[in-house]
Amino acid sequence: MKKLMTVLIALSLALTLALPVAAEDGKVTYSGNAGSFIFEPGGLHSPTDLFPNFKDVMPGDTLSQRITVRNDADNEVKVKIYMRALGAHENSKAFLSQLGLTVEKSPNNDMAYMFDAAASETAQLTDWVCLGTLYSGGEVDLDVILSVPVELDNKYQEQIGYLDWEFMIEEYPIEPGDPQQPTGDAFNQGLWITLATVSLALIILLLILRKKSKENENDATTH
Amino acid sequence: MGKIKIRIIVISLIAMMLSLISTTTLAYYQTVGKATNVVTSGNIRFIIHEMTDQGTAFPQEGVYVLPGDVVSKEVTIESDCDHPFYLRVKPVYGVDSQALSAEDCFKLNINEEHWILHDGWYYYKGIVNPGDTTPYVFSHVEIVGAEVDNSYIGKTLTLTVKAQAVQSENNPAVNGEIFNVPGWPAE
Repeated sequence: MKKLMTVLIALSLALTLALPVAAEDGKVTYSGNAGSFIFEPGGLHSPTDLFPNFKDVMPGDTLSQRITVRNDADNEVKVKIYMRALGAHENSKAFLSQLGLTVEKSPNNDMAYMFDAAASETAQLTDWVCLGTLYSGGEVDLDVILSVPVELDNKYQEQIGYLDWEFMIEEYPIEPGDPQQPTGDAFNQGLWITLATVSLALIILLLILRKKSKENENDATTH
Repeated sequence: MGKIKIRIIVISLIAMMLSLISTTTLAYYQTVGKATNVVTSGNIRFIIHEMTDQGTAFPQEGVYVLPGDVVSKEVTIESDCDHPFYLRVKPVYGVDSQALSAEDCFKLNINEEHWILHDGWYYYKGIVNPGDTTPYVFSHVEIVGAEVDNSYIGKTLTLTVKAQAVQSENNPAVNGEIFNVPGWPAE
């Protein structure tokens, strides 16, 4: 039995090691109800880093990074999601100004390139750009492409470049004409309101009955 | 008194019900979050090893030689980065006297199976992959007796191995001509 377990463990380890390492996506999740954003996966240099694929880049590289922006707010709200670029940190500008960056919405992109400039710039994302209206569980994907020129100078070896993006949401109530969004949320508001109303009515009824019963007892004692 | 109590209880319950219902109504919220994204660049790094045929490091302080001596000095290069690269090596000779030249004082047994001479540089014929160590460039140095005469007595001859690398990713060698790939640093 022990031998079998050892073989199974070894096999599973071998299979795990044999699996190709998939490129990791960045994730921006709005947790809802005036909550906060969660940025994943983060990294060694920043806990809110959305660029896991843009590490250890070399001259001539063209790398892509998908970032999924998701609304995880409850079923009662829809949100408008916006983003903007704040540019590179001061000590990163020299390095990032050498690199090209494009951002586009995918796959039903109606904004060709939202951003197409040096990675240090804010360019077309200087002002807030609306990514769309998302219902609960809704997502929009951004495809980011980083281009490193083949003639990048040797002095840019082992550099770390920081650039900030901001995301903003505005919550709005669901309106009658809005599409129904399946969310997997089992909360049935109508049922709970009905149950609460019935309970309230029963409590009131019991209190009235109890009071009447006490009054009858008092009457009986008096006579 | 009893009627008042009942009224208070009923009003409280209704208020509780209303507050329960009101939690499902919505305000308009706005939230902003900032992501600090990071781009890092890679590098090319290697280590030059100089060993003797005894398996020990070649002494930093050098060795005493006589004309005609053959000194064991095996030079290899080890990759110390995560990227493959092309490599070239150049022996540079020197002597601590302006009146003398060291150029013809050394004779190296170059490993021509793996290294090819072009414009004064020995180019490694392959690609050095991460973790690899190249075959030796040369393993022995002969002090040429015909060149090292009495004028060299008490002088210090130096043999410095200079190496340069350039990435092979996104940088193919057309027709295998490694010496023609772009990116070799200036000498």
